[in-house]
Amino acid sequence: MKKYLIIGNGAAGVNAAVAIRANDKTSSIKIISDEEFNFYGRPLISYYLSGQVKPENIYYRNEEFYKSKNIKVLLDTKAKKIDTVKKEVLTSLGERISYDKLLIATGSSPFIPLIKNLDFNRQKNVFTFLTYKDSIRLKEKITGNSKVVIAGAGLVGLKASEGLFGQVASITVVDLADRVMASVLDKSEADIIQEHIEQKFINFKLQMSICEVQGKSSVSEVTLSNGETFDCDILVVAVGVRPNVVLAKEAGINTLRGIVVDEYMQTSIKDVYAAGDCVESLDLFSSENNRVFALWPNASNQGEIAGFNMTGAKIKAPKIFAMNSISFFGLQLISAGVISDSRSSGVFVDSTKNKLHKLNIFNDNLIGFVLINDNQRAGIYTSLINDKTNLSALAYDITSKDIGFNVYSAEERTKKIFDCNGGY
Amino acid sequence: MKKIYAFESRCLGCRLCEVYCRTARFKSKDVVKAHKRKNITSAIIVEEVLGPNNISYFALQCRHCKNPKCIKACISGAMYKNDKGIVRNDSEKCVGCLSCILVCPFGVIKKNDDGKSVSKCDLCADFGEPFCVENCPNEAIKFLNEGEARALK
Ligand SMILES: Cc1cc2nc3c(=O)[nH]c(=O)nc-3n(C[C@H](O)[C@H](O)[C@H](O)COP(=O)(O)OP(=O)(O)OC[C@H]3O[C@@H](n4cnc5c(N)ncnc54)[C@H](O)[C@@H]3O)c2cc1C
Repeated sequence: MKKYLIIGNGAAGVNAAVAIRANDKTSSIKIISDEEFNFYGRPLISYYLSGQVKPENIYYRNEEFYKSKNIKVLLDTKAKKIDTVKKEVLTSLGERISYDKLLIATGSSPFIPLIKNLDFNRQKNVFTFLTYKDSIRLKEKITGNSKVVIAGAGLVGLKASEGLFGQVASITVVDLADRVMASVLDKSEADIIQEHIEQKFINFKLQMSICEVQGKSSVSEVTLSNGETFDCDILVVAVGVRPNVVLAKEAGINTLRGIVVDEYMQTSIKDVYAAGDCVESLDLFSSENNRVFALWPNASNQGEIAGFNMTGAKIKAPKIFAMNSISFFGLQLISAGVISDSRSSGVFVDSTKNKLHKLNIFNDNLIGFVLINDNQRAGIYTSLINDKTNLSALAYDITSKDIGFNVYSAEERTKKIFDCNGGY
Repeated sequence: MKKIYAFESRCLGCRLCEVYCRTARFKSKDVVKAHKRKNITSAIIVEEVLGPNNISYFALQCRHCKNPKCIKACISGAMYKNDKGIVRNDSEKCVGCLSCILVCPFGVIKKNDDGKSVSKCDLCADFGEPFCVENCPNEAIKFLNEGEARALK
């Protein structure tokens, strides 16, 4: 009987536990989590904030799920130190938990930019937006009179603004970039999203940063890089995340920006694996550079692969690419792959009001797409990117009409229907 | 596990399966009423194949993959596989983020008109045989085991 230990009770950690159990019915599986709640849909915290998701629905799986799989979860417990020689983990409760195979699935932490006079320990009205706890505290603190400032116009900042909408007096979103979701979208697409959100009276201050805040026990005012100041009752800092690597690094495991893993998700130290937001992944579009992705599907997939490999399987993790599906006030954005025009030999844009359909084609391959309010069958595009399908071999020119499964030949369709492994 | 298999040479493209799929999703199971309800989305899709001098058709719906990408991508825990291997979506938990649509290689998950959840084929698991199969006028879709389907292809 083996002892499996997992640090982190998120998408990566839980999918690993499930995969381990699928291959090994008897060994002990323990998950350590420094959060007080059971595994929840992290992206749902903005839906909790708005009230769309009730507390009972935020949990990803029910209690029965863990019980039936005999997965033990230790909540409110932080892993403090990993001893890779003795093969044990020291917890915040002073316990030493030994392991045969260890998974580090510690996710990421909010990045806090340098802002003069900002002090999370003293100021009671400043928040990050990463955990269910953050969202609960924020929801408790806001009133109909709150003037909210959000630092960061990326996915998380915008989702926070959507969650707060209608419950506060004003919302101002500040970002250094010239557009919203700058790491995902080009200006033309970002403008559609921004204009849509602005209709909800959410203000944007772009190409600016917050350089100073006023107030001791709470922030009362923010100053922007252009000198402008305005009142602030609630400050949400959501400018991005950084992988949690310290625990691994201190244990002597190779880390760069993220934890370095091989194609089987094993770290530089034997029997220690890592998966999810905390690792550097192989990028489908770059052979030299590994990238840190903070994406749910990737965390689940890597967790599962790590879990299988911890039980002795030898499954290679696929190279990955960015993908997002997200809505803001009913406007739906789906995108994947490389979006920036600079890499492409042909971009096909078809945009009417609030609708955009862009395919990024390079050397007979689809390398990326952006769809706004045009979501039907997006997964077929994602597959074309993933499989590096030669577009000239398809039944028609994918820029000429809406895509369907009929883009494949009859033979290919039959093959896909019978294979249907899913997979990564 | 039994799944729905399409036989392209028999498909007339009548789209009756789409109508019956919507009926299956409608409480009263009344085909006329269901047909009029535009907010119910069919989870079976009929596609055209343009040949040099003819058009043929095929129907397609969830393949209930062995290791479904849609479940891995789901951010809310709404998408799951039941003990019979059927991939289902719990509309109570679904927030309509469409991450499943982003990754489904068959493109067979659809957004519901209310924008709050998605429709996908659940093989009519709650009430016997799939409605679409039972009502196909030309046996162009059949409910079969993989072995049976391979033998017929
Ligand atoms: C508001 C919001 C919206 C999002 N929306 C989307 C979306 O729409 N689509 C998408 O793809 N992604 C989205 N994401 C990103 C997605 O949530 C992450 O990519 C995903 O949660 C990563 O999973 P993970 O298991 O790697 O890490 P996490 O979910 O971060 O889990 C890691 C866990 O480990 C715990 N931990 C860390 N260190 C220790 C320690 N030393 N001891 C014990 N426990 C520890 C952490 O507290 C955490 O609970 C969103 C994120 C946020 C915050």
